[in-house]
Amino acid sequence: MVYFRIVGQYLAVFAVALTLNFALPRIAPGDPLNYMLTEDVLANMTAAQEAEVLREFGLDKPLLVQFTAYVTGVFRGDLGISVRFGEPVSEIVLARLPWTLLLMGWALALSAAIGTALGILAAWWRGGRFDLSSLVVVLFIGSAPVFWVAMLLITLLSAELGWLPSFGAAPLGAIPGSGEYILGVAERLIMPVTALAIVQTANILLTARSAMSIALGQDYITFARAKGVPEHRVFFRHAFRNALLPIYTNVMIGIGNLVGGALVIETVFSYPGIGTLILEGVEARDYNLLQGVFVLATLGVVLANLIADLGYPLLDPRVRRT
Amino acid sequence: MRQLIRRMGKALVLTSGIALISTTASGQSPEAGESGASVPPAKFLSATDNQGPKTAEELTLAMWSGAGNVTTYTIGNSWNDWVLWLVFDKLREPSPYVGKAEDWLATSVTQISDDARVWEIKLRDGVKWHDGTDFTAEDVAFTFEYYREGPANRWTHHASAVPRMVGIEVIDRLTVRLTSEMPMPNFDRVTAADLPIIQKAQWQGVEDPRSFTDLGIGTGPYRIVDYKADQFYKFEANENYWRGAPLVKRLNLVMIKDPQTMFTALKTGEVDGAARPVPPELVLQWKNDDDLELVSSPTLWGAWLDINVSRKPFDDRDLRNAVTLAVNPEPLLERVMLGQGKSGKHGWPHVDSFWTKPDLSAPHDPEKAKAILDKRGYVDTDGDGFRETPDGKPMSWSLKVASNQPLFLRAGEMLVEQFAAVGIKTRVETIDPGSMSALWRTREFDLRIADITPHGIADQDMLIILYRGDKKREMIFDEEKAEIVQRWHEADSREKRLQVSYELQEYQTRYPTRVMLWYPETVFAYRWQSYDNYAPSAGYGVFHKYSFLPDTLRGDTVDPLLTN
Repeated sequence: MVYFRIVGQYLAVFAVALTLNFALPRIAPGDPLNYMLTEDVLANMTAAQEAEVLREFGLDKPLLVQFTAYVTGVFRGDLGISVRFGEPVSEIVLARLPWTLLLMGWALALSAAIGTALGILAAWWRGGRFDLSSLVVVLFIGSAPVFWVAMLLITLLSAELGWLPSFGAAPLGAIPGSGEYILGVAERLIMPVTALAIVQTANILLTARSAMSIALGQDYITFARAKGVPEHRVFFRHAFRNALLPIYTNVMIGIGNLVGGALVIETVFSYPGIGTLILEGVEARDYNLLQGVFVLATLGVVLANLIADLGYPLLDPRVRRT
Repeated sequence: MRQLIRRMGKALVLTSGIALISTTASGQSPEAGESGASVPPAKFLSATDNQGPKTAEELTLAMWSGAGNVTTYTIGNSWNDWVLWLVFDKLREPSPYVGKAEDWLATSVTQISDDARVWEIKLRDGVKWHDGTDFTAEDVAFTFEYYREGPANRWTHHASAVPRMVGIEVIDRLTVRLTSEMPMPNFDRVTAADLPIIQKAQWQGVEDPRSFTDLGIGTGPYRIVDYKADQFYKFEANENYWRGAPLVKRLNLVMIKDPQTMFTALKTGEVDGAARPVPPELVLQWKNDDDLELVSSPTLWGAWLDINVSRKPFDDRDLRNAVTLAVNPEPLLERVMLGQGKSGKHGWPHVDSFWTKPDLSAPHDPEKAKAILDKRGYVDTDGDGFRETPDGKPMSWSLKVASNQPLFLRAGEMLVEQFAAVGIKTRVETIDPGSMSALWRTREFDLRIADITPHGIADQDMLIILYRGDKKREMIFDEEKAEIVQRWHEADSREKRLQVSYELQEYQTRYPTRVMLWYPETVFAYRWQSYDNYAPSAGYGVFHKYSFLPDTLRGDTVDPLLTN
C-alpha cells in the first residue's frame, strides 16, 4: 500500500512537470523563428512566409493542440522534430544521454564516496585537526562556482601541465571500442567529473558529518561502548548504519544538483551531453528539444527520488513499520 | 597596454603607407563606379615568422557556431559561412564585399542590355558535383528559381527581392541568361559573388529544407563526409576539384563554444587553429609565443546601436540626428576595444567597403544635439536634469544588451553617460541571448547594441533589403529616404548607383536607424607547425577555402599579408 501511494505521488509530480515543461519555454520571449531565420532573412520575408516556417514545425497550431500532441507524443516516444538540428528530438536526446550519464554517474559515485568518507571521519574525530582541515578545504572549494573550478582545472591540467585534453568527450577519428578511444574518453572525463564532484562533495560531507555526529551522541552508542563493543564495531554497526539514511537522501537529492551542474560543466568542456543540449535549446527557443530534454530530466529526478523512497525501507527497518 | 596600443598605432601608420605603395605598384586602379576606398591590408602580428609545412594530411580547426548539415538553410550568417564555402562555389569569388570578384564557376558574366537588367553567364566546362555528375546551366537556373520561389534563406534576396529575377533562361548547356525587374548594374560584383550554387538533382522536390538532413553536395574543394551537429564536421579533399586539389587532405572542424576552452585547446595543440577572433588581451600575450602565429585580417564586422524606429519618439528623424550627435565612438573604441579597430565615426556602411563614400562621417557634437532637442521641444520641464517629450511625458530609454556580450555591456554603460550629457535619460538592461535575438521581430526595445556581419554592413543589396524589405519597417514616416531608395533601384550603371549609394549613406548617417560604434580589428591564431599556408581574405579572416588551395590557384581571392 505504501508503495502504491508513493508511485501515485510521483505520477502526479510527473504530470505537473510535463505541463510546466510545455509552458516554460513558451513563456520566454521570442520563438524558434528567431534562431532559424536571422535578421538578414527575416528582413526579406513576408508574414505568410514566416507562417509557412512555423507550419513546417507544427508551431502554427493552437496551444491546446500543441500540448495534446506533446503529451501523447511523450507516451509514444515521439518528441517531435528539433528546429535546431532538423532531426527527431528522441534520437538527439538518446545520442547525448550516455555521455551525461557517464559524467554524472562518476561524479555522483565519487562525491558520495569521498564526501561520506570524509564526513564520517570528521565526525569521528570531531574537533580534531582532520575535522577542521577537511571542513575548511572542502567548504572553500565547494563554495566556488562550478564553472570557475572547471576553468582552474583547464588552466592547470591542460594549459600549464598539458596532461589532459581540454574539450570533447571522445577523440576524433578513434574507432569506438578501441583502446585509443576508451583511453581518450577516460582522459576527457577526468576534469569535468572532478569539477562536478568537488562541488557536490562539500554538500555530502556536511550531511555525513552532521548525521554521524548525531548518531555518535546517542545513548545506544554510550551503551555499546559501556558494554565493551570494539570501537570499529561502534563506528560501523552502530553509528554509521544509523547515519546512513540522511546521507543516502542527500546523495539522491544531489542528482538534481548534478543536472544543473552538468549544464555548466558540459558547456565549459564542450561535452556533448544533455547539458549543452539544454543550452542550445534555450538559445534557439527550440520548444520540442527543450520539452524532450526536460521530460528526460524530470523522469531522471523523479526516478531517482522514487528509488530513494523505495530504498528507505531496505536501509531502515523502522520505515517498514510506518 | 598603452605601450602596445601605441606600437600598434605606429604599425598601422607604417603598414598603411606600405599598402598604398604596394597597391600603386601593382597597377590596380579603381574601376568606374568604385569609390577607391579599399580594405586595409592584413598584418602578421607575431614576433617571429616561422616557416611551417605548406601542406597537411589532416588539420583540426575549432569553430563555435554550428553549421547543421552544411547547406544554405542550416548556415545562415557570417559567423560560419566559411564552412559552407568549403563545399560550395559561387559564380564569382571571393565575396560581394571587396569589389574585386573574379570568375569562378563562371567563365564570364556579361551585361547584355543597356539598362543593366539582362545578364548572361557562361559557365566553366568540366566541373563536377561531389557525386560525380556534371555541373551545368540547369543547376544555375534551378538555384535562381529555387531561391526566388522557395523558402527564404540568407541568400534568397538575390533572386527574390534585390534584385528580383523575372526571367531565368537556360540558353545552352553552359549558358544562362537572367533578367531582373529593376536594373542590377552590380550583378557581377554582388549577386554573382555571393550566391552559392546548389545542385538541382539534390534540391528539386525539397519543400522543407530546414528539416532536410542529407549532406550538402557542392562543387567546392571539400566534400563533407560525416558530422554530428554541434559536435564535429569531417571533410575530405575533393581531389578532382576543377581548380586543383586542396593542400590539406582531411579537415576536421570541432565545436567549442566556450572561448577560453577553445583558446586553451589551441595552445595545448589539441586543435591547429581557432576560427574565432582572439581577444585583445590574448593578442598581447601570444605575440611572442613560439607555438602560435597571429594574423590580423579584416572581417568587415561592426558593432552598432540599433534604434527602434517603429516606436515613438524614434520616428522623429531630428531626434535620431541628435542621438548620433550625442554618441562619441572614440572613447568606446579606446576603452572597450583597447584601441583595436576603427571607431564608428565613419558611419554606415563599413568604412572599408569599396562602395562606401570616402569622406563619410558621423560627427560627435553634443552642443548641436542639445540645440536640436531644444528646437524639437524635448526639454527638461520638471527640473530633474533630463528632458521630457514635447507633450511633457517623461523620456527614459532602455538600452538592451545580451548577457553574453561583456564588451557591449561596457559600451552601454558609457553610452548612458554620453546621453546623460545631452539630457537624455537611458538605462542598460541585460537580457539573455535568446531574448535578444527575438527583439528584431518583437520590436520591444528602444535601443540595443548588436553585432553586424559583413552581409549586413558591406553587401550593397542587403543594405537595400534593410531599407526596403517586404516589411519596410524602416521606411515608415520617411518619404525622403524612400525617394532615394527608389532612385537607387532605378540606377542603371555602376556610376549612377554609386552616386545614389553615397546619397543614401549620407542620409542614413545623418538620420540613422543604427549608429555605428566600432569596426573591430580581428586577429586569428593558428599553429604554424601543423600548417603554415593560411592567407587572409577580407570578410572571412584566414580560415576559408582559399587558404587550402595552392598559392597559384588562389587568384585574387586573397589579400597581401604585411609582415613586421
